Amino acid sequence: MPALPLEEAGKYVAGAYVVFAALIVVYVAIMAAKLQRIERELRELARFAEQGSPGTPGREAEDVPVDSAQPPADSDRNLTPSESVGGAAERVRGGS
Amino acid sequence: MYGKGLKPLSIATVAALAVSLSLVFFYAPLDADQGFVQKIFYLHVPLAIVALLGFVAGGVFAILHLRSGDARWDAYSYVSIHMSVIFGVAVLATGSIWAKASWGHWWVWDEPTLVSFLIVFLMYATYYPFRYAIEDRDRQARYASVFAIVAGAFVPLNFTAVRLAESLVHPRVFATTGGGLPGEMMLTFLASLAAIGLLWVTLVKFELTAKSASGQLKRLRRALDAPAPGGSSRVAPEVG
Amino acid sequence: MMTPSRRALAAILAKDLRTELRTLQSLPAMALFAVTTFVIFRFGLDRTSLSGDLAAGVLWATLLFAAILGVNRLFVAEREEGGFDAIRLAPIDRTALFAAKAAALLVYLVALELVVVPVFALFFLDSAAALAPLAAVLLLADLGLAATGTLVSSMAVNSRARDLLAPLVLLPLAVPLSIAATGAAEPLLAAGGPSYERFGTWLAVLGLYDLIFLLVGYAVFDFLLED
Repeated sequence: MPALPLEEAGKYVAGAYVVFAALIVVYVAIMAAKLQRIERELRELARFAEQGSPGTPGREAEDVPVDSAQPPADSDRNLTPSESVGGAAERVRGGS
Repeated sequence: MYGKGLKPLSIATVAALAVSLSLVFFYAPLDADQGFVQKIFYLHVPLAIVALLGFVAGGVFAILHLRSGDARWDAYSYVSIHMSVIFGVAVLATGSIWAKASWGHWWVWDEPTLVSFLIVFLMYATYYPFRYAIEDRDRQARYASVFAIVAGAFVPLNFTAVRLAESLVHPRVFATTGGGLPGEMMLTFLASLAAIGLLWVTLVKFELTAKSASGQLKRLRRALDAPAPGGSSRVAPEVG
Repeated sequence: MMTPSRRALAAILAKDLRTELRTLQSLPAMALFAVTTFVIFRFGLDRTSLSGDLAAGVLWATLLFAAILGVNRLFVAEREEGGFDAIRLAPIDRTALFAAKAAALLVYLVALELVVVPVFALFFLDSAAALAPLAAVLLLADLGLAATGTLVSSMAVNSRARDLLAPLVLLPLAVPLSIAATGAAEPLLAAGGPSYERFGTWLAVLGLYDLIFLLVGYAVFDFLLED
């Protein structure tokens, strides 16, 4: 089978690499959703622990995503989960 | 601590991918037979090799799990297989594109390695419905390890059988594997292999870290006696 | 020499065979299933005689699917009647259970073929010359199915959706076996008369498959019975 001319071949090669890149991005997106869920649950738990009483933590009005006030999560900062939750809670309390 | 070392690993992976992609498109010579299309080889074959090694690793971790009873090995086994199945999707997709470009069809039965890989992929894809159908967590982990070992033994047998079944009339489609790669192509291939390998390890570590975080969350929740969140009641492998 | 393990093996095997003979349930049903499937193939392929690759494929596919019906039932009795607990408590090598179950499955498969293969020859083949070497091929293939079928069935029996799970996992596992069995059967069933092209190779693959999965089953079965 003769080799395809460059223009046609290029599309296939690009297609293969695009599929590869797309799979990586999809995976990252799924992991991001998981991470969001972990963050949300940690926030609930922190609130629950601070209240110190049993009972379903309600969804309060202050539970607005604080991302606009906060710089995006930066891996260089090495924030531990408890630090960032505590910090976010502080900011929300100060802001509302 | 699963997350330890994830940052340097990710950086190394990005660097390796950048280097290997540059080599593929700026350094490796054009193949005499297949032309530009041959460049897919540098993506497809390393993905396949890494995926298969990942399945083998899953089997090895499973053996360690059964011998020690330590749940961490089960987590390694689960994530290794998971990542290799995802890489497997990429192998089949890139293989299909390569087949279309070389042979004109989106799938060819004449390429024994690709066909063997499909069968292995189908085998490991049953790992999930199998695992999640078992409700007791300890039993689930043990049976999953047995599955991983059985499937690991299956892989070489499968490749042998498919290769033997190959009709002697049809020529191999992807004639570049083995058969003496020139030096520049070999270097590019090895660089790609290293990059994809690093990618696999990084993503596995990434997933283990996420699972570990979920596990710690559950532990915290239990310690605080907090009510459970609404969500899937599926019994999933836990990393403590 | 009858060691405790061997005695246990014989006892479990005898029990299974006795149960099966008493109820005579699944064997006639499996045979009926196979024969009806042949009729469907006759119309589906629009052929009244088969040879070579088609014959090998139709025969093996039918046997495989009938075997899967049998596999599903292998451990159901144990689970429902609490047989697992009795075996766990008994001071014997648990792999005796694996050997016994695999042997029972092997006996079922051989019995099934004793009925189904002559019917297949009657329906589709021109001569019975191939049947003797074919029997050897099928016996080796049955051994492999017995090993993997027992393994898969013992895992699936403790799960939800167990009727779906055993076939789902068993089929890909049976692919190398299928390739080798049909690879050997195809020249045997060739239109001009049996040919032994690559017969040795395929028998070797079958033997290798059997050996590997019997060993693996022997090694891991203990872990499947732990509570």
